[in-house]
Amino acid sequence: MSNSLKGKLESTFKGVEMTLLKDTRAVVSAPKDSIVAILEYLKDKGFDHLALVSCVDWIEQNEFEIVYILTSYMRNNTDYSAEQWLHLFIKTRISRDNPELKSVTGIFENAEPYEREIHELFGVYFEGHPRLIPLFLERKYEIPPFRKDFDTRKYVKDTFDSIPSVED
Amino acid sequence: MKWLKSPGKMAHKYSLHVVYFCTGCGIIEIPPVITARWDAERFGVVPVATPRQANLFLITGYVSVKTLKAVIRTYEQMPEPKYTVGFGSCPINGGMYWDSYNTIKHLDKYIPVDGWIAGCMPRPEAVFIAVTHLWTLIDKDMANGYIRYRKNYAAYRKNQETLFGELGWPPLYQESATSAPEAPSGHLPRSGDVRIKK
Repeated sequence: MSNSLKGKLESTFKGVEMTLLKDTRAVVSAPKDSIVAILEYLKDKGFDHLALVSCVDWIEQNEFEIVYILTSYMRNNTDYSAEQWLHLFIKTRISRDNPELKSVTGIFENAEPYEREIHELFGVYFEGHPRLIPLFLERKYEIPPFRKDFDTRKYVKDTFDSIPSVED
Repeated sequence: MKWLKSPGKMAHKYSLHVVYFCTGCGIIEIPPVITARWDAERFGVVPVATPRQANLFLITGYVSVKTLKAVIRTYEQMPEPKYTVGFGSCPINGGMYWDSYNTIKHLDKYIPVDGWIAGCMPRPEAVFIAVTHLWTLIDKDMANGYIRYRKNYAAYRKNQETLFGELGWPPLYQESATSAPEAPSGHLPRSGDVRIKK
């Protein structure tokens, strides 16, 4: 069903690979430079809903994986094409030492809180993001707390357990 | 006879106005508690609109660092006498969030707590058991969290500032108030007594 999309994507962009997981799911792995172009291209093709931006810490390979999930609203229920059922997972790997990526807020505005969250919890810098300020956290952390090398037990011991009880 | 001895105390006992602080999953138990199924009003427990009208503070669930700031603000706004009850195991010792980077483990390091309801989740009946226990404590002058807060305010404030750095509001009580309050005997200290004007 989405073989035509696969062919188009892989011929248009260099280094892009599309794998079908199920009838309705596909993974697109892409190099980090072409992410913005791919999302723009897919938005034109009808994938107009960015459902999620997420991040995975692959500490052994020293890489972060950023995942964008794209779907499409079925505008015309009587005559939808098979591609409109498709959930696309666009994945890209970036280096853990210098995590930087172009922001996609220019294409999908709702990426803004997701990217802020990833910036806060993983320390990934998004270039061109309008306001990369803290979203949830109240305290400052030396290592962003969702990274795998953040030792939560040591942190709890040093921070919360070191506060003395007030009475007895 | 109790009514004649200390009418104020009896009035406090039987009209606990509660501010339910919806911090975590514990709040899911509160709608059945206050509505027809268990009907907390039998015990005089009534939810109120703002903390300034409340005298029982029920903290239902885990308290994250950001929430703690709001918890402290809410607690300091309540008029005295005020009682605090931690609901569920998370405010007691962290519960399942014992190694979380962002959840405080012991609520009583930051504000005084009069009673705990253990469990994950406690049943709605546990709220009523806690309320009846609180009656006993009020009778015996043991529900004195707000007095302890005045007495040890410097220590509580220090703990709060260790966590937050700068709290963003001035101290509730002056330093001299640390020695002033005694256990109430008929006379209850009013919260306006030594309050600093902003």
